[in-house]
Amino acid sequence: MLKVGIKYCGGCNPYYDRVALVKRIADRLAGKVKIVALDHDRIDLVLAVEGCNTACAELSQFDGKKIRVITYPEDAKEFIQEILG
Amino acid sequence: MPMMTAAQYEESLRDLNLVVYMFGKQLDNVVDDPIIRPSMQAVAKTYELAHRPEHDDIMTATSHITGKKINRFTHIHQNIDDLVKKSKMGRLLGRETGCCFQRCVGMDALNALSIVTYNMDHQLGTQYNSRFLKYLEYVQENDLTCDGAMTDPKGDRSLPPHKQPDPDLYLHVVKEKANGIIVRGAKAHQTGAVNSHEIIVMPTIAMRKEDQDYAVSFALPADAEGITYIMGRQSCDTRKLEEGLLDRGNILFGGHEALVVLDDVFVPWERVFMYKEYEFAGQLVEKFAAYHRQSYACKVGVGDVLIGASQTAAEYNNVAGASHIKDKLIEMNHLNETLYCGCIACASEGSKEPSGTYSVNTLLANIHKQNVTRFPYEISRIAQDIAGGLMVTMPSEMDLTAPATGKWLEKYFTANCDVPALNRMRILRLIENLTLGTAAVGYLTESMHGAGSPQAQRIMISRLANMKEKQRAAKKLCGIETDDRKQTTEDR
Repeated sequence: MLKVGIKYCGGCNPYYDRVALVKRIADRLAGKVKIVALDHDRIDLVLAVEGCNTACAELSQFDGKKIRVITYPEDAKEFIQEILG
Repeated sequence: MPMMTAAQYEESLRDLNLVVYMFGKQLDNVVDDPIIRPSMQAVAKTYELAHRPEHDDIMTATSHITGKKINRFTHIHQNIDDLVKKSKMGRLLGRETGCCFQRCVGMDALNALSIVTYNMDHQLGTQYNSRFLKYLEYVQENDLTCDGAMTDPKGDRSLPPHKQPDPDLYLHVVKEKANGIIVRGAKAHQTGAVNSHEIIVMPTIAMRKEDQDYAVSFALPADAEGITYIMGRQSCDTRKLEEGLLDRGNILFGGHEALVVLDDVFVPWERVFMYKEYEFAGQLVEKFAAYHRQSYACKVGVGDVLIGASQTAAEYNNVAGASHIKDKLIEMNHLNETLYCGCIACASEGSKEPSGTYSVNTLLANIHKQNVTRFPYEISRIAQDIAGGLMVTMPSEMDLTAPATGKWLEKYFTANCDVPALNRMRILRLIENLTLGTAAVGYLTESMHGAGSPQAQRIMISRLANMKEKQRAAKKLCGIETDDRKQTTEDR
C-alpha cells in the first residue's frame, strides 16, 4: 500500500475543487493508496495539489522525499492511471 | 493555545465584558446580537480556515519568536513570501466571506510597531521593542484578534492636535502615573472593534513637539475600564432583524464599524509602545498605512464574489451569451485582476527593515490603494447594469412566502424556466448587498476612505515617485544635457 501525504497550496484562487479532487483520487485508488498525515513517519509520496499554474505549495519541508505535483484535474487522471497500471 | 478554532474564538468573545451601544441602548449580549453576529462569523472564518489543510500554506506561519505554528494574522512578516501570502490571504478571505473580515488591521498595527519600536530604541535609547515583542508573544500565544485604532475624529482639519478647541478630538495623554498613563479621546470608524480581544492605539498623523501629548501608542484589552463602543449604522442593517434570510443578500457574513471612546483609560507602562516621541508618530502612521493599503487585497476577493454573482444573474436572465454582457464581465475581471496585480506587486517588491520585519513597497502599496478607491465602484456599476432594475424594485421575501402574493412573484420573476424565482431573487439581493446594502460599506466607501482617503495616497505617490530618473531618461533620449545648463545656439 502506497502511503501518500497530501500537501495543498494555500488555495487563494484555485481553478478547481482541490479537496474534492483528492477525495476522488482516494476513492479511485482505494486499496492501493493510503492517505496519511504529512508528519507520518513513512511517507512514500507527497502529492502536491496546486490550485493553479503558480504552484506555490511550500515543499521545502519534503526535501529528499518523492513529490508528485498535480496542477489540473487531468494530472490526477494520469496519476491514477499510473498507480492502477 | 497557539491557534484557536472558530468555536474557541466565539467562546473567547463571550468572556469579554464590552460596553457596547447600538440604537441608543446598551447591549447585554454582543456575540448573539443579530446585527453584529454576521461580522463575528466573518472574523471566525479567519480562525476556521487556519485549521484547514487546503488553506494551511496561506493562513498559518511560523512565529519568529517562539518557532510555533501561528495564525498568519498574528505574524510579523519575515520575508517576501510572507508579504505575498498576506495578499493572497486577503483575496481568499474576501471571497469566502464577501465582506470585510476585520482582522487585517491588527496585523498591520503589529507589523508597523515591530519596525517603529525598534527604530525608536535604536535612535533614542528607549526600550519599546522588547516590551512590544513580549506583547506580541502574548497575542500569538493566545491567537488574539486586535483592532488597530488609528483614526481620530480630528475636529477642525485645519488645526493640529494641540490647537483644537476641544483637546480630546485627538486621543492624548492626560496624566502620567508611576505605573502607567491615563489617556482620553476616541477612535472613529473602528472596523471589527467589538469582535476584537485587544485594541492597539496609534497616532493618526505626523506630529510636532507641541503635539507630543498626542504622540502615544499602546495596547489595551478590549474590555478595559473606560472604553465604550458605539456601533455604526449600515445601509439596510435592520433587515437582519427581519424574518427570513433572503433579503440580507449575504446570509452568512458582514462587517461592522464603531466609534470607540476612551474616557480616562489607564494603560500600564508594559503596554505603552510610544510615549511623546512625536518625531516617530509620522513614521508609525506611514508604516501602518503602507501595510494597510496592501491589505485592500481583500477587495479582490469581494470582487470575485460580485463578478460571480453578475455572471450568475446573466445566466438566470438568459443573457449570458450576449456579446455586450460578455464584454462587461471581461471588464469587471480586468479591473479586479488589475487590483490583484497591485497587491502582489507591492508585496513582491518589499524589503527588509532594520528590525528584520519585511515592509511592502510603499509606492506600489499606495498605487494599489488608489486603484481600490476607484475600481470597485466601476465593477459595482457594471454589476448593477447586468443585474437590471429588479435588483432595487423587487418585493421582499415576505411577499414571496405570502400565499396572496407569492404566486405572482413566482410567475412574473421567473426568467429562465430552469431557475426558480427564489434563486433569481437571491442572486440579485447579493448584488444589492454588495453594491448598496450593508456590504457596500466595506466594498465601496471603505475602499474609498479606509487606510486613508484618495488624496493621502496621491501625496505619497508624489513624494515617492522616482521623478529624477524619469527626467534623466527623457532628457537623454532627446539630447538634453543631464545637468540642465543653459545651452546656446552655438553649443548645439
